Amino acid sequence: MTTSPTAAPNADLWPQTFVGVGVLLVGLLLAFGAIGISSEAGYGGVGPNFLPWVVSIALTICGAWIIWEARSGGFREMEASGDWPKPDWGGFVWVSAGLLLNAALITAIGFILSCTLCYLLAVQGLRRAAGQSMANSPRTWVMDVVTGLLISAPVYWAFTKFLAINLPGLTNTGWL
Amino acid sequence: MEIFNALMHGFALAITPVNLLWCLVGCALGTAVGVLPGIGPAVAVAMLLPITAKVEVTASMIFFAGIYYGAMYGGSTTSILLNTPGETASMVTAMEGNKMAKSGRAGAALATAAIGSFFAGTIATVIVTLFAPYVAEFAVKLGPPEYFMLMLLAFTTVSAVLGKSTLRGMTALFVGLAAGCVGLDQISGQGRYTGGIPEFLDGIEIVLVAVGLFAVAEVMYAVLYEGRVVDSQNKLSRVHMSARDWKRSIPAWLRGTAIGTPFGCIPAGGTEIPTFLSYATEKKLAKGADRAEFGNQGAIEGVAGPEAANNATVTAALIPLLTLGIPTSNTTAILLGAFQNYGIQPGPQLFTTSAALVWALIASLYIGNVMLLVLNLPMVGLWVKLLKIPKPQLYAGILIFATVGAYGMRQSAFDLFLLYGIGVLGVVMRRFDFPTAPVVVGMILGPLAEAQLRNAMSIGEGSAAVFFQRPMSITLIVIVLAVVILPRIAKAMSDRKLKAAGG
Repeated sequence: MTTSPTAAPNADLWPQTFVGVGVLLVGLLLAFGAIGISSEAGYGGVGPNFLPWVVSIALTICGAWIIWEARSGGFREMEASGDWPKPDWGGFVWVSAGLLLNAALITAIGFILSCTLCYLLAVQGLRRAAGQSMANSPRTWVMDVVTGLLISAPVYWAFTKFLAINLPGLTNTGWL
Repeated sequence: MEIFNALMHGFALAITPVNLLWCLVGCALGTAVGVLPGIGPAVAVAMLLPITAKVEVTASMIFFAGIYYGAMYGGSTTSILLNTPGETASMVTAMEGNKMAKSGRAGAALATAAIGSFFAGTIATVIVTLFAPYVAEFAVKLGPPEYFMLMLLAFTTVSAVLGKSTLRGMTALFVGLAAGCVGLDQISGQGRYTGGIPEFLDGIEIVLVAVGLFAVAEVMYAVLYEGRVVDSQNKLSRVHMSARDWKRSIPAWLRGTAIGTPFGCIPAGGTEIPTFLSYATEKKLAKGADRAEFGNQGAIEGVAGPEAANNATVTAALIPLLTLGIPTSNTTAILLGAFQNYGIQPGPQLFTTSAALVWALIASLYIGNVMLLVLNLPMVGLWVKLLKIPKPQLYAGILIFATVGAYGMRQSAFDLFLLYGIGVLGVVMRRFDFPTAPVVVGMILGPLAEAQLRNAMSIGEGSAAVFFQRPMSITLIVIVLAVVILPRIAKAMSDRKLKAAGG
């Protein structure tokens, strides 16, 4: 590590620290879980709890080390954080809504409708993030719904009819 | 002769109309994913893993190999025509290829990339054919201590040697190992980290992790950070190489193949090192006017060499995968997952227990290379049209396929929530420059390495001395230490030299 720790102030100080804290917490959580795993080792001297302990200790150390790097000039061997554009949280919410609603609804309304909804919300979010002013026009909405259906329906048929993979439908016909 | 006969049997099996069709579909699909930004071969194979439940093993392995291969051909198209490489393996191609395209030589760059890929891929396949059976024969003699050390070597190279920061690589590796721990312990059958959630008893599906980290995270990353990035596309010119282009390309292909093949054979993973090495070699060997083209109008050697190295590495990576069961990249890790879905554990016995499958797979590599050459040279214009799909529609569409892969594996909506969580993890990793390959390799190889460790310790009757008493095992320990320590000494020495020169 040749970069001097006292160089430019770290613009990512807090985000990087949180990443380190996250890793550290995962390590501790895994250690907590490892306590409950049997150490019954048999002939080997190495039981089912050995790897969990190695992993949890290693992650705890990595987490602490990441925090240290973040607090002493930022992550090493990484481009300056000032170059990062501001994240577009609005678009992210649209995409997240699409994915989570899909997970919640897929068994209830079937693959085709649920995926169309996911596609619609995601494409709207991506359009907004790209600064497309047409995203809100009714024409675009209709077009996105139709495109979503045109992708998910053939995918559904291809996987259920040709490959015999079970995907949930709204009806039992295998077509919707 | 024995090998030749086995290969002929393989051809007989691979050339049935159904298998040829799977190979063609795989190659075409692979080229498409290679061309499309935001989706690579690892995730394409992962999304299609559910088909392993229904499709016969030979057909699906031929299909997956086609995707794996095709993506390497397709990736070069994107990196030459767009300013973003389609996948990491073609990052180096992008440097010179893009410059060639800007000065109106896109066609020549595409041609040298495709022919070079074919050339290197075929030579490397011959090497797989000739050497894999011997490696397998040798590997039968390895015991659990040696296997464990080989896996440790794979872990070390994938996390500490590749990528920029060892700390972040190691963190990613241990996250993968932790994910691999979830579920029933293979030896004692005890549940670990299930948190009372029945879905976790089965462990975390590799499909979920791969699709989450690569596809869902890619979409989230695009919406968060890349909304306003505008890609500029270079014009496609006639795909044709002049006599001078041939004269410059052929030696570059040969050197690229020679550099790439050994890198694929060792569990050191990744195409970054061989492609960069080949690029540096070509730049160093070029003279006069050719040398001046590097970084300016774009030198054809700088495309030909790395592309050949890339395909040679990717093909040769099948040797450690098939003979040792050790994956050295994301995609080979997922191919290993595909074998496991059929209850087949790649390793030295594969060549005896599943000889028909292995040889059909190898034969299909020869066939696939020819198909890809045809798909990529005369038909390149068709693939270029894929680049016209607007980003929002493309990324939103990827989510539909991600759903098929994640849900299709075990029909559980719980997995879709988990997929979202893994996607968020992937975005954080990408934002803070954590590599993802160690997660996937750690997760797949972790449980196998653990089993080998425990078997080895049983052989040693509970003593770790077993690792130091066997010559192969101790050799591997030395190699592991060398790959960790040597690059650091080299770096410290070059830093000191720089300092001395600077003042």
